[in-house]
Amino acid sequence: MKFVKMKKEELDFFVSVLSAFGEVHAPIRRGQQVVIGTPARWSDVCLEYARTTLPPKKYVLPPREVMFTFDGAKGYQDLLNEARKPIVLFGVHSYDIYSLNILDTVFLGGSYKDPYYSTRRENLAVIGIDFQPDEHHFAYSTDTDFVDHGFDLFFHDIGDFYLVRVGTSRGDDMANKSGCLFMAPEEKDFKEFKRRSAQRRAAYVTHVDLRDLPEILEMEYRSHIWEEIGERCLSCGTCSFVCPTCYCYDVRDECSIGDRCGQRSRYWDSCLYRTHALVAGGENFRKDRASRIKFRYYHKQRGFVAEYGRPSCVGCGRCIVACPAKIDIVSVIMAVRGEKDAHGNKDFGSKSL
Amino acid sequence: MTEYRILLVDDDPDFAASTTALLQSAGHSVLWAKTGEEALRMARQDRPDLILLDVMLSERTEGFFVLQEIRRDTELKDIPVIVISSIYAECPGFRVSPEKDWLPAERFLAKPVDPITLITEVRRVVEEKGKGEGR
Repeated sequence: MKFVKMKKEELDFFVSVLSAFGEVHAPIRRGQQVVIGTPARWSDVCLEYARTTLPPKKYVLPPREVMFTFDGAKGYQDLLNEARKPIVLFGVHSYDIYSLNILDTVFLGGSYKDPYYSTRRENLAVIGIDFQPDEHHFAYSTDTDFVDHGFDLFFHDIGDFYLVRVGTSRGDDMANKSGCLFMAPEEKDFKEFKRRSAQRRAAYVTHVDLRDLPEILEMEYRSHIWEEIGERCLSCGTCSFVCPTCYCYDVRDECSIGDRCGQRSRYWDSCLYRTHALVAGGENFRKDRASRIKFRYYHKQRGFVAEYGRPSCVGCGRCIVACPAKIDIVSVIMAVRGEKDAHGNKDFGSKSL
Repeated sequence: MTEYRILLVDDDPDFAASTTALLQSAGHSVLWAKTGEEALRMARQDRPDLILLDVMLSERTEGFFVLQEIRRDTELKDIPVIVISSIYAECPGFRVSPEKDWLPAERFLAKPVDPITLITEVRRVVEEKGKGEGR
C-alpha cells in the first residue's frame, strides 16, 4: 500500500479539489446530531464526531428508491442515471467502511449483482478518517476498528499531519490532482501512527466477545430473555434504519390505473415490523415482538456468520444510542451469555442513556 | 453596448467598490454580496447573467464551497462563474492549478485583475454561455 502525508491545516484545500471527483459529502453538525451532507463551508465539516445519525448505506441503498417506471407504450425505463452521479464521501469511520464492504458481499456477490446498488457503489468514492471510541463503540470487538480495503484514501491523525493510506487508483488520482498538498512520509510518521493506533485500541471501554456467540445463541434459542426484550421493544424499526448493515427492503408497485403506467420502488424495511414475516394467505411467521427481535439478533450474529463468515454487526453503537426503549445490544449479548454487563447488571438495558 | 446583470461576491468593500465602478462604466449592472450565504440568496432571487466570485470570504476556501452549491442547485447551475481570487498569492502552499480540471468555473482570474482583461472576460464568458440579450 502507498503512504503519503499531508499537513492537517491544508485539509480544506484538499476537500476543495475533491470536487473534481464528485459532489463532496461530509459529516456536518445539525443541532445535537452529526449527519452526512453537503457542507456549505469548511467550518461546517465536523471530523471529530462519535457517529453520524444515519450510516453511509443511504448512499448505496437509499431509504426510498424508484427502480424503474413502466408504461404500456414505452415499456420499462430504469432510473440508473441518477445513481450514476459521482459522490465523494469524506470523513468516514473504519466501521462504516467495513459496513459498505459487508453490503458489497450481499448485493454484489453471488450470481446476481444488484444493478442499482452496483451503479451507486461504483460512483461513490470513500475517504476514511480516524475516530476516538466512546462508551458505545465496540468496533475493536467486531474487528472493524481498522479496515484494509473499501476506501480510496484513509487519513490517520499523527499530530500536525495526516498519514494517508492510498487504497485505490482513484485515491491515487485524488492525491495526484492535489499535487503539492501531499508529500512522502518519514520514519517518525510511521512511529507516531503506531503509537496513536495503540492508544486508540486501549481507549475502548466496551468489549464483547463474539467468537462463540453463534453457538451460544443456538443454545439459548428458547431463553426467556427474548420474551423479556420483546416486552420492552416497540417494534419501531429504528435499530434497522440506523444500522449500517441492515439491508431489508420492501418493494412496491405504484400504478396509475387510468394511464396504464406506474413505477416500482423499494423502501427500507425492518424485521421488527409486524408485517415483515407476513406472507400471502395471511400466515405471519413472527407475529409477536419477542420472535421478531430474536430474529434480528440471530440474523446479525448467527445467520450472517453461517452465510458470510462473520457477523454483520460492526460495533458502531448507533442502535444503542437510537433505541427509544433503551435496549443495548452489548447488554443483551452479555445477558445471553449469563454474564453481567458493565454496570454490574444482568439486565439488558442501557442505563447510561 | 450589451448590459449584463452581474453578481459580485467579495468581502472586500474597496475591491467591490472599484470593480462595481469599472463594470458599471462598461454598461453592466452590479449586485454585491459579501458572504457566500448572501450570494446564494441573491443569485436565486435575481438570477444574474454572471457571477464574479471571490474565494477567500469569511473562510479561506468559502468561495469553492459556494461554487459547488451553485453547480448543485438546479436553478443556478447554468449561470456562468468567473472566480477572481488572490488565493495563490496569499496561500502559497496551495498550488493546485485552477486549469487542472477541478474548478467548475468558466474562468479563474488572479487578483489584481487588469481592468481590460476583466471587461473582456466578462463579455466573453457570458456570450459563450449564450446569454447575448441586453436588458
